[in-house]
Amino acid sequence: MRISTSYLFDQNLTAMLAQQAALGKTQLQISTGQRILNPSDDPVGAVEILNLQREINLSDQYLTNADKAENKLVSEEGVLSSSVNILQKINELSVQALNDTNGLSDRQAIAQEITQLNEQLLSLVNTQDSSGNYLFSGYKSDVQPYSSIGASYAGDSGQRSLQIGAGVLIETNDPGNAIFEPEHIQTSLDSSAATDSNLTITEMGKNSAIPDGASLDINFNPATNTLTVTMGALTQTVNPYEAGQEVKLTDLDVGLPDITLMLEGNLTANDTHQLTTSQTTQTIFKTINDFVMALNTNAVSLNDSPNNGDFLTNLAAGIGAIVDVQASVGARINIVDQQREINDELTINLEKTLSQIKDLDYAEAISRLALQELGLQASQQTFAQVQNLSLFNYL
Amino acid sequence: MSLLTTGVSALLTAQGSLATTSHNISNVNTEGYNRQRTESVTTTPSFQGSHYVGTGVTIGGVERIYDNFIASQVRTYTSQQSQQNTFLTFAEQVDDLLGGTDVGLNNGLESFFNAVHEVANDPTSISARQVMLTEGAILANSFNTIDRQLEQFDQQIDSLLSTSIQDINSLSRGIAELNNAIIATGSSGTGAQANDLLDQRDRLINELSTYTSVNVIQEDTGAVTILVGNGQALVVGTANVELHEIADTSTNPVRVGIGYGPAMIDVSTQLTGGSIGGAFQVRNDVIDSARAEIDALALGVTTSFNEQHRKGVTLDGAMGGDLFSVPTPPATVDAGSIRLAITDPRDLAIAFPVGVTNADLTTSPITATSGSGDVEITSVDATPPLTLPLLAANITLTFDSATNQYTADDGVNPAVTINYDPSADSGISVSLTAPMAELTLTLTGVPADGDVITIGNSSSIGDNRNALALADLQAAKTLNSGTQSFSDAYGVTVANVATRTHQADIAQQTQQGLLDQANLRYESLSGVNLDEEAANLIKFQQAYQAASQIITVSNTIFNALINAV
Repeated sequence: MRISTSYLFDQNLTAMLAQQAALGKTQLQISTGQRILNPSDDPVGAVEILNLQREINLSDQYLTNADKAENKLVSEEGVLSSSVNILQKINELSVQALNDTNGLSDRQAIAQEITQLNEQLLSLVNTQDSSGNYLFSGYKSDVQPYSSIGASYAGDSGQRSLQIGAGVLIETNDPGNAIFEPEHIQTSLDSSAATDSNLTITEMGKNSAIPDGASLDINFNPATNTLTVTMGALTQTVNPYEAGQEVKLTDLDVGLPDITLMLEGNLTANDTHQLTTSQTTQTIFKTINDFVMALNTNAVSLNDSPNNGDFLTNLAAGIGAIVDVQASVGARINIVDQQREINDELTINLEKTLSQIKDLDYAEAISRLALQELGLQASQQTFAQVQNLSLFNYL
Repeated sequence: MSLLTTGVSALLTAQGSLATTSHNISNVNTEGYNRQRTESVTTTPSFQGSHYVGTGVTIGGVERIYDNFIASQVRTYTSQQSQQNTFLTFAEQVDDLLGGTDVGLNNGLESFFNAVHEVANDPTSISARQVMLTEGAILANSFNTIDRQLEQFDQQIDSLLSTSIQDINSLSRGIAELNNAIIATGSSGTGAQANDLLDQRDRLINELSTYTSVNVIQEDTGAVTILVGNGQALVVGTANVELHEIADTSTNPVRVGIGYGPAMIDVSTQLTGGSIGGAFQVRNDVIDSARAEIDALALGVTTSFNEQHRKGVTLDGAMGGDLFSVPTPPATVDAGSIRLAITDPRDLAIAFPVGVTNADLTTSPITATSGSGDVEITSVDATPPLTLPLLAANITLTFDSATNQYTADDGVNPAVTINYDPSADSGISVSLTAPMAELTLTLTGVPADGDVITIGNSSSIGDNRNALALADLQAAKTLNSGTQSFSDAYGVTVANVATRTHQADIAQQTQQGLLDQANLRYESLSGVNLDEEAANLIKFQQAYQAASQIITVSNTIFNALINAV
């Protein structure tokens, strides 16, 4: 085939420039360490990279969120466990105070100590985090949940959630009214229908609450010398019964509340005494404070109204409520930890995939570079040699 | 006829051949030059009574070595290659703009959503809110930048078209003038071809074909008629028709179109091939569609964010406003015009206007039998603008375990019952509708009979539910009738441009290969080969020397004759 001189020159030059361009690209790949320099190099890979980077970024954000969530939960957990300690201390002191050997002054001294503990508890509940947000006031993080011992809850029931995984929200706080306002029972005695006898409660156990809406009726019939205990459909009798005889109700029937009582006085009239338990919720501070006031006036007998015999039950319920939340907080910390592991693993996997798509295979690239260098050198040499060939040289 | 005359004719012919060879050698690097060849023909023999005696040689003509078919192939491939080249040049720039991992919208979106998460983590933090505002402004700015860049590509194409039109006009004028000159040489009656004029004209036609596809018709007069587009004549005989830059008002801003002739008929869509065809194609296939997709994404991002943001409550307890400013009507959202509408971090609406209280503690004590039923407000469904307070009165949800129903009642509107079977439905989403309230609730747990859950107005600064709702937009399939998230849509745009660029790259290489082959064939036929010319030089030199010898011989013979006298 006939070849035109200028075309031969052009073709050689074009080929050389193409070699140079390829070499330059490989060099750029090596210096950036990236396989895909422009999306058009690998459209599918490029979009995959965008997606993977987004996923990794999101996963990193979830890890950050998980750290924050855990911080919040751990500090809540700390406050809760300190609260439980204080309440247990109060419990011990209360049991000591209720001991019959204590006189008024002893009780007042204990009352003072309990008051201090109660105030300490209140300040714990009003804990703020590093940004000045109250831990236990729900969404109203700028409002002190309990401004004083007697104050009612000023927050709301909002629980702030943080997103720690795709679709995984974790609640990072608990509203104070769900923790520090346990079930509160108050047993009261109505002896208005009785004329001659007095009913005395000598002991109240933990399960002393009479179900809501029911009442416990104690009737003494002098004609048959029978004491009848009625609670709803449940009826038990003690026969014969003498004045001053202590009756433990659970001995009669396990379905009855854990109360020991006795009738005193003149048991000649057919008297009926009625015991009821009201169930409400009340702040633990107020419950403790009511008890402190009772201690101060020495009005701690089981028959006093308000009946402080319920106090230990109420305190136990208070501790129980906090422990329940503590368990839930612990479970949430576990979830955060698990989710963090999942996210960690996910990030590692994503980064591995990303690296496979995005990163350059150096061994391949460097050998390609060497090959391209060789090609360029060869075409440069042949160019020079071929361009030297001319018949004119021999004329 | 004498020996001398024959010798002289040989001498002159060899001289002519040498001249052509020298012409070839001197034009070895002249663009568009076709090698020429001197045709030698024998002169009319003289009749000597019984036989003819040759009388020598003469130059029959100087022919250029040229094949019309190969030349038209070269023109076709030149147009196609030039089209792909222009397309690729612009497509690569768009590809770079959208796909760069450091620029591009992807980073802007990610950083913005990260900032939203940080606000959700700490809703009362002014610094976190400020970061969210800054990231929002950066996101808006990314949209603006991309839009501006794409607009600049449009402007580059406009200026490419304007200069192309001018170039085409000067080329068509040149062709018409050459037609004129070629007709003149033809009409001089010699019948000889003005090879170098033809070469010049072919070169101009080739150059014209880099701008657009041309159709060349050879006329008997020696002139050529050049047709472009759908048969619009650009050159007829000695006249040319000018193209004009006209305004394409179908778009905003107005762009450049191409008008034909004095009437300026719009032929923009009819001009195919060449850099003009490539420019129109890349404008249509890549730039316009990328702009439309980016605009759609901008519309999606701004309207979704605005709508969710307007359902929230600010740090000062007011209803949230637009997060991004959007022109009205919103359907014309241009990615270049979106801005952040909020400057005060306190105006970020991060809280929900409504909240849930598990029980109204003052009137309805939690009893020992109280269950674990819970209600969460997952979304506010009313269409903004909303006015505070959102609820006319508290809504109480009272559970009846006999019928497994919550009764929602606000004391104002008719009560609504919501079926909820605790054994099967925990986690179910239910919607409250107008007139009571437009809310979506998630019901969980096992409520006890008579349990009361209250939904009331709320605006607490520690509430981060709207921030979570905003963060959810990252993965939400809000675009393209609910099939794509923001990043999905952006990925599709990047993929479209990348695929188109990749295709163009391959097409460009193919066209380049085809053009190279056609050029090889063309050059193989018409190009100057110096070795060949060197050989010819020797050949014609020898012929010249031989012819000189004829004259010497004739001289010797003549002298011999003279001496004999």
